[in-house]
Amino acid sequence: MTMADTDTAPLPLLPRWSRTLRREPGLALGCLVLALLGLVAIAPGLFSGQSPYDIDVANALQPPTAAHLFGTDDTGRDIFARVIHGTRITLAICAGALLIAAAVGGVAGTVSGFFGGWIDLGLGRFVDVILSFPPIILGVIVTGVLGPQTANLIFALSVIYLPVFFRIARAGAVSEVGKTYVEAARGLGLPETMILRRHVLRNVLPLVLIQYIVQFPLVLQIQAALGFLGLGVQPPTPDWGAILQQGKDAILLAPWISLFPGLAVLITAFALMLTGRALQRTVDRR
Amino acid sequence: MTRYLARRFAASVVTAVLASIVVFLIVRAVPGDVVAQMLGQTSDPAASRSLRAFFGLDQPVWVQYGSWIGAALQGDFGTSWASGRPVAMMVTDAFMVTLEIALLTLALASVVGVPLGLLSGVYEDCWPDTLIQTFNLLGLAAPVFWTGLMLLVLASSMLGWSPPLVYAAPGESLADNLSILVLPILALGLLQAAAYSQFVRQNVVSALHQDYVRTAIAKGVPARLVFFKHILRNIAIPLVTFMGLMLTQILGGVVIVESLFAIPGLGRLLLTAIQTRDYPVLQGALLVVVVAAMLVNLGVDLLYRVIDPRVRLA
Repeated sequence: MTMADTDTAPLPLLPRWSRTLRREPGLALGCLVLALLGLVAIAPGLFSGQSPYDIDVANALQPPTAAHLFGTDDTGRDIFARVIHGTRITLAICAGALLIAAAVGGVAGTVSGFFGGWIDLGLGRFVDVILSFPPIILGVIVTGVLGPQTANLIFALSVIYLPVFFRIARAGAVSEVGKTYVEAARGLGLPETMILRRHVLRNVLPLVLIQYIVQFPLVLQIQAALGFLGLGVQPPTPDWGAILQQGKDAILLAPWISLFPGLAVLITAFALMLTGRALQRTVDRR
Repeated sequence: MTRYLARRFAASVVTAVLASIVVFLIVRAVPGDVVAQMLGQTSDPAASRSLRAFFGLDQPVWVQYGSWIGAALQGDFGTSWASGRPVAMMVTDAFMVTLEIALLTLALASVVGVPLGLLSGVYEDCWPDTLIQTFNLLGLAAPVFWTGLMLLVLASSMLGWSPPLVYAAPGESLADNLSILVLPILALGLLQAAAYSQFVRQNVVSALHQDYVRTAIAKGVPARLVFFKHILRNIAIPLVTFMGLMLTQILGGVVIVESLFAIPGLGRLLLTAIQTRDYPVLQGALLVVVVAAMLVNLGVDLLYRVIDPRVRLA
């Protein structure tokens, strides 16, 4: 190590992630909330001892009390237990749908951008058609027509978000193809598919991963909206959107049924947005 | 310019045609069509056959598509299977309702979002910026229909007021019309204002760091002039574009809000048509939504050219 190095480089007393966290307090907060949500999703029993399914008509439509922190619904089920137990199913549906969208859209986009030509033209047109529908309307049609089942909901959400990943991956692939390392790999005589798999796809992956976090809150909102319209997860399964749908008719009588699952969506989306934004800034800076 | 317009328009038409085919196929992919629904439990094959012939469902799909799109291009969308009314009329009525909501929402979002965004950008990283950015994030994170529900609760518990239950057209009673639309517009407007303010801030911040701004400040140009003459003029294009984007987003968001507040717009028309398997209405309404979104995008592209002649529409 020369003198110049010690002068300019910051002292590596703290690991890089901790420096990033200090520069981005939003990232720390976002990650903390997300970690807590992850824990709730994995072990809801730790947070709520009550069952989300137990009906207790004698205690129907109770406002929040010490016994029922978030109150009860029209059949006396504990809203707190339902929101806590709904975390897993709600987040799992969004995460799964987004994973499918990212995998299919990401690979299709990379292939499209890498090869160009008629593949690019065909796939591009296909994506344009999906994009010509406003997202929620597309979700309403697909789930409405196929029927309100969880599998159809996941399918609908992944179709809606496929174009986002397609475009990001395509743009990434187009910019990678022009770089010298691809030229070098071609010069070495590597087969095109290997260049695509080993090099281009690997460089496009970070873009897709960041988009995964950035898009997550939007998927969550559409998932909740479809649930609210009765096109998502069906009762009695505790899902945030489904609880909101149940609360709709008693909104003025028992607003707490709608208040808390909506807050859960808001807090989750907020934490995801904070995290996504900070991650994007951190990557842009590099 | 003409060549660009023609090409851009042709691409939109191709997408619209493909979208209409997709719409047509999705609608027909459903298990259980209108005939099955009308006949219910009874399964008289003769009745089923004659009903299918009546609705044209016995024809091959491409023949059905051909006759539908041919008539639709002449403005004839058929008649509703559920109500017997002409689809074109139903869709037009619903579209006017949705358009009113969309335009008022856009106006609210601009009136709130632009000043907030400008303020936030000018005070980058100071407390007004932090405050406004928190508002933006909260606005973006809250689900629209939930904001609508909470506004309803607040209005009824704090003001003792709730919107009329039956929709009134602006021609019938403007006061009733606006009082039923005020909550949905507030809910949608809050979200879009947050999005707009966020976008304006980004543009102001990046403009502030440009060389021409630094030069102007160094030359001693008053801050007010720099702001209005240099920054605002340069961020005008992206701001207009974003309005187009918001309009298409509002078109989508309106579905849920309409069903929540029982407003007879396009969104509710779509939902009811899906529930009753009313193919002609569903197809007509979807086609209008897709074409409207496309026209907005096209319009934004053209506005680009008008605002900034430097933009080459290659």
